[in-house]
Amino acid sequence: MHSTENEEGEPAIRYLRLTIAILFGRFVGWLSRLGGHGGSSLPGKLALRWHPHLLQELRQRAVHGTVLVTGTNGKTTTTAMARSILTRHAWSVINNHNGANLIAGLATAFMGQGRILGRADLALLEVDEATMPRASAELKPRMIVVTNVFRDQLDRYGELSTTLRFIQRAVEDMAEDGQLVLNADDPQVAYLGRDRPHVVYFGMEVDGNVGSDPGRTAYDASDSTRCPRCGHPLEYFTRFYAHLGHYRCGACGHERPQPTIRVAQDKAGTITLMGDFGWVPIDMPIPGLYNLYNLAAAAALTLTLGVHVDLVPAAIVSMVPAFGRMESIVAENGTVLRLALVKNPVGFNQVLDTMVQSPEGNHALVVINDRYADGRDVSWLWDVNFESELLQQKIGRWWVSGIRAWDMAVRLKYAGIEPSKIVVLASAKAALDAALAESRDCTLYVMPTYTALLEVRDLLTRRGLVKHFREG
Amino acid sequence: MESALRIGHLYPGQMNLYGDRGNVLTLLRRLKWRGLDVEVVPIEVGAEVDWDRISLVFMGGGEDSHQVLIADDFRARADQLLKRFENGLPMLAICGAYQLLGKEYVTTNQTILPGVGYFDVRTEPGAERKIGDVVCQVEGLDLSLATLVGFENHGGVTYLGPDATPLARVSTGSGNNGVDGSEGVVRNHVVGTYLHGSLLPKNPHLADRLISWALRYAEIQDAFMADLNDEWEYRAHQAMLSRQSERHR
Repeated sequence: MHSTENEEGEPAIRYLRLTIAILFGRFVGWLSRLGGHGGSSLPGKLALRWHPHLLQELRQRAVHGTVLVTGTNGKTTTTAMARSILTRHAWSVINNHNGANLIAGLATAFMGQGRILGRADLALLEVDEATMPRASAELKPRMIVVTNVFRDQLDRYGELSTTLRFIQRAVEDMAEDGQLVLNADDPQVAYLGRDRPHVVYFGMEVDGNVGSDPGRTAYDASDSTRCPRCGHPLEYFTRFYAHLGHYRCGACGHERPQPTIRVAQDKAGTITLMGDFGWVPIDMPIPGLYNLYNLAAAAALTLTLGVHVDLVPAAIVSMVPAFGRMESIVAENGTVLRLALVKNPVGFNQVLDTMVQSPEGNHALVVINDRYADGRDVSWLWDVNFESELLQQKIGRWWVSGIRAWDMAVRLKYAGIEPSKIVVLASAKAALDAALAESRDCTLYVMPTYTALLEVRDLLTRRGLVKHFREG
Repeated sequence: MESALRIGHLYPGQMNLYGDRGNVLTLLRRLKWRGLDVEVVPIEVGAEVDWDRISLVFMGGGEDSHQVLIADDFRARADQLLKRFENGLPMLAICGAYQLLGKEYVTTNQTILPGVGYFDVRTEPGAERKIGDVVCQVEGLDLSLATLVGFENHGGVTYLGPDATPLARVSTGSGNNGVDGSEGVVRNHVVGTYLHGSLLPKNPHLADRLISWALRYAEIQDAFMADLNDEWEYRAHQAMLSRQSERHR
């Protein structure tokens, strides 16, 4: 039959090798959790050493194939929403809901908890952009979903175009009849669908104020505002944030593809999901304009798989926010916390825009680390729009912490925020304690980078406020 | 009313890769805190500029594809800029901008972009991208503090000719090329460097040097150079220094 069999022996031996790899990995993962560590990638990492092409073997566990969700922002929330919808569709799903989205994390998700080679209906995986080529080559996904491509972790990838190349390679590697689900409002992402036979586009329509400050043009943190076909600057009829919006190229006529799945928000803030099925109202449990894109992506993903649209609203309203994605937590003293991961300028701007939407004043705690998983370079903080007038009016107090606390404090100072409103505390625990104690009458937005989020979660767990996420 | 001091920011739309706008925000705030009326003039491709009304120039880095888009426009402005450099017009040029001020810049796909040749340097693609923290000792300038801290992220490596004076010598990081230990170049009041971070917020002594050059060039009194409270800025600077010394231990 095919070549791997010749290379790696008879089916029975292959099966044995696979089983040993999985059992070994799982055992070590169990030990790791016993010792109080996470273990969301470790089993996969070890099993891959035993069996480097583990994923190729395991992909058959998913009866209806594999869906990969990638892009800079929104992977975790889109996947969580889609999972919630698919659960109502009575599909069992293999899923890396802990956000471990490199190869080892994907392998761990497939190795699962149940029977060694038990089956599930679908594998639904969020995948890091740089991992996409390998994930696509090994898993042969039936569908790739791309949310957006922004500037992120350039210390790792170098430049934005590198990220797009990773995704392009993954698209080329998928099966001929592979399905793409793409954001029509992101020019570079939508362009991945050119010359592909099966593409579903999703997009957004918003009436009224979308939250961003007007007039931040030259200094906006947007990246690819040039036509992906001819390089001419794009014209925008509507621009929601960064380079997302309704666009057209004046030079070559290239334009935003018509999305078949659309999420609309009217002036009153009512949200509707629209498509050839008509429309359904949606009650969103998490704030933020960017979450409307995640909703559109999750709906496009699931409806394309054949899910009935009537299942979507109930699945969304009952959805629990993904780990650190606008999670709402109530502290002992009644203070409401919103925990929102920040990792790049566009994402941070969206959290800030959401934070100033509420009528009452709020407090903010920012924790900036610069470990590998956070991005070693903190330059991106200077591309975040802390200069916004609303921010100056609405945020009464800032606490700043983390390895790069002073960089963050300097950033706020140069944004024109009164230094007397800023408290710098090196210890994240001290900063969280102080911020919680002084935020009884308002919402405390906690905005950590990735490893800082793990720290903050750990501190909240010790206070008995959240369940340890890896147990879920 | 015309502002007392105008900062020309070249290609904020194309050359803005690693938070380099932080440098302009820093210059702007530090001038305002000293009571000066200041304005940033964004200059994009094709824009008309009255260079006689600009007293300080900034230009950042961009992706290769963006750099190609602005290179012709920048070369077309070289005459205007270079003669003013000789009269003391200060400029801070980071990464891609630094490379274009040199003689020649070869991109990763072997496109040769001729530079404007103000610096006697030449840039070619490096074997691997140089990414990480940088700490360096300033040599080409006499600053109140001799260290600069920042973050480098560049694919090109820059080699200095006999007429180039390095800005600094690296103790952590690669600098210009990872071979000779040099970082950046300085000529008259023009500083070219690979340091992002952003550079000026954490290095206020360099920010103030650029500002004092600009004030002199604009014939504004030095009385405006009052000391500011830079405790936070130097804490951020110091945090980088102490971390590097820990790593070296």
